[in-house]
Amino acid sequence: MNNTFNIQRFGLLLKRQWLEFGKIYLISLLVALGVIITFYGLALWKNIVGTHAFSERDLHFREPLFLIFGFIFISIIASNYFAHLGQKPKAIIDLLIPASTFEKFLTGIFFTSILAIASFVILFYLTDLAFVSKLRSLYHSVSSVTTYTDASGKEVKSIDNIMYFFSKNSPNLFKPLYAVPFFVTSIFLVGSIYFNKFHYIKTAISVMIFSGIWSLIIFKSGEFLFEGKVLIESEEMPLNNVSRSDGEILGVLLLVVLTAIFWSITYVRLKEKEV
Amino acid sequence: MIKINNLNFGYSKHQLLFKNLSMQLSNGHIYGLLGKNGAGKSTLLKNLAGLVYAESGTLDVLGFNPAKRQPALLEQICFIPEEFYLPSVKIDAYVKANAAFYPNFDHPYFTALLAEFDIPVGQKLINMSYGQKKKVIIAFGLATNAKLIIMDEPTNGLDIPSKAQFRKIMASALTEDRCIIISTHQVRDLDNLIDTVIMLDENSVALKASVEEITNKLVFKRVKEIDDKVIYAEPSLAGYNAVMPNFHQEDSKLDLELLFNAVLAEKNKLKPIFN
Repeated sequence: MNNTFNIQRFGLLLKRQWLEFGKIYLISLLVALGVIITFYGLALWKNIVGTHAFSERDLHFREPLFLIFGFIFISIIASNYFAHLGQKPKAIIDLLIPASTFEKFLTGIFFTSILAIASFVILFYLTDLAFVSKLRSLYHSVSSVTTYTDASGKEVKSIDNIMYFFSKNSPNLFKPLYAVPFFVTSIFLVGSIYFNKFHYIKTAISVMIFSGIWSLIIFKSGEFLFEGKVLIESEEMPLNNVSRSDGEILGVLLLVVLTAIFWSITYVRLKEKEV
Repeated sequence: MIKINNLNFGYSKHQLLFKNLSMQLSNGHIYGLLGKNGAGKSTLLKNLAGLVYAESGTLDVLGFNPAKRQPALLEQICFIPEEFYLPSVKIDAYVKANAAFYPNFDHPYFTALLAEFDIPVGQKLINMSYGQKKKVIIAFGLATNAKLIIMDEPTNGLDIPSKAQFRKIMASALTEDRCIIISTHQVRDLDNLIDTVIMLDENSVALKASVEEITNKLVFKRVKEIDDKVIYAEPSLAGYNAVMPNFHQEDSKLDLELLFNAVLAEKNKLKPIFN
């Protein structure tokens, strides 16, 4: 018998977790759907019923809603995943289920970093698609060019914002951010197993403290290293030698490495968990 | 089946609960684990199940180190904790989610045990009384056909008829390749059930002897007066209930409560008899 990973056992574990937490998970998704629809409804209702002229600005709430509510949703799911291990009766049953620590850890990754993120994105996308489709059907005849006169009296022609918005579809622009949700869930997953109570608050406070200390260290070391010095451009070292894409790659790499570190800590904590 | 060698364990490094504890347990026996509050009964059971980690020493359970929590061992352990949690599902859903992890799970036996315990099958586990939940978890544990059955205060919460049923079921559950360890402070619940007594006191095993050995070496009887042969006595209505060395190979029934108190009060007098 393979005591580290067995696909059949892993499948059983996924099924067991789903039977135990599936209902709560689906309820959370319904709540999330309700919140998203409420935001869209409140923001776009006047456009839909036709009492307010549609403008591209009316859709500006979408990005912050996606980012902030998405962060809250996936972090809460991750923060609750191993939380029950802080309670003795639940921990005994779970730790003694005949599956390896690695399988239990992978199940955690599946539910928090794959299922939670994917379900939120799909939920948001479908709600967004429904509302935007409605707006498209109502405002399809809007001119694609806007002409206005600026302060100096000069006539300016510009791309119509609505059409511009509708035609804009560049997910590649956000590729560097794809690692962020995994990073967020990895932090809150480690928090869920590290703390025995008040997992979410304690994790959030810990993140704030560590980020504060880290920023201070970076700031102080930068000050110490570069204070009173001037950057001189030369052929060997041009000032703008780091391109945007290089910076993004470094950022993504840093996130990936940190995510892997947090997942490793989660695995070790799960392995060492005592009741 | 179980070998414990020089086990040192403590919840804090400065205060050890077990100091160089060693013993061996074999299959085909029902062990009764007794001890005062805080003597470490539950902790010893947790060590055997791999729920806590020892400071030093070795633990061998069915050829495995329980601290590694390997599935091959976990599927051979049935642990009935004193405090437990059952999810808000019906019995069949619980079985569907958990039984598949135990390759020897016996569904007809589980159904028969539920019927014997008079458990309403259609009811959700969360709506059951503590005693009913305990019976479900005991029935499930026994139906796993695990080789090592560990029970921590199994009769807590059971009514009087259920205690009798429990004794009957446990006696019939013992097979040649099974080892059953029952920890309790309600010693009368184990009357006529256990075949070996293990008593923990002062960081170590104060007594480990079979019922046969105990009744061969000691006699439990009522006396009118206490003389120097009496190891330990407690006043009763018609004199004293006493524990004495069994010099004349008298037949007597083991009084677990009296033995327990005798071991705690007169450890030094009993030690030479059993060594």
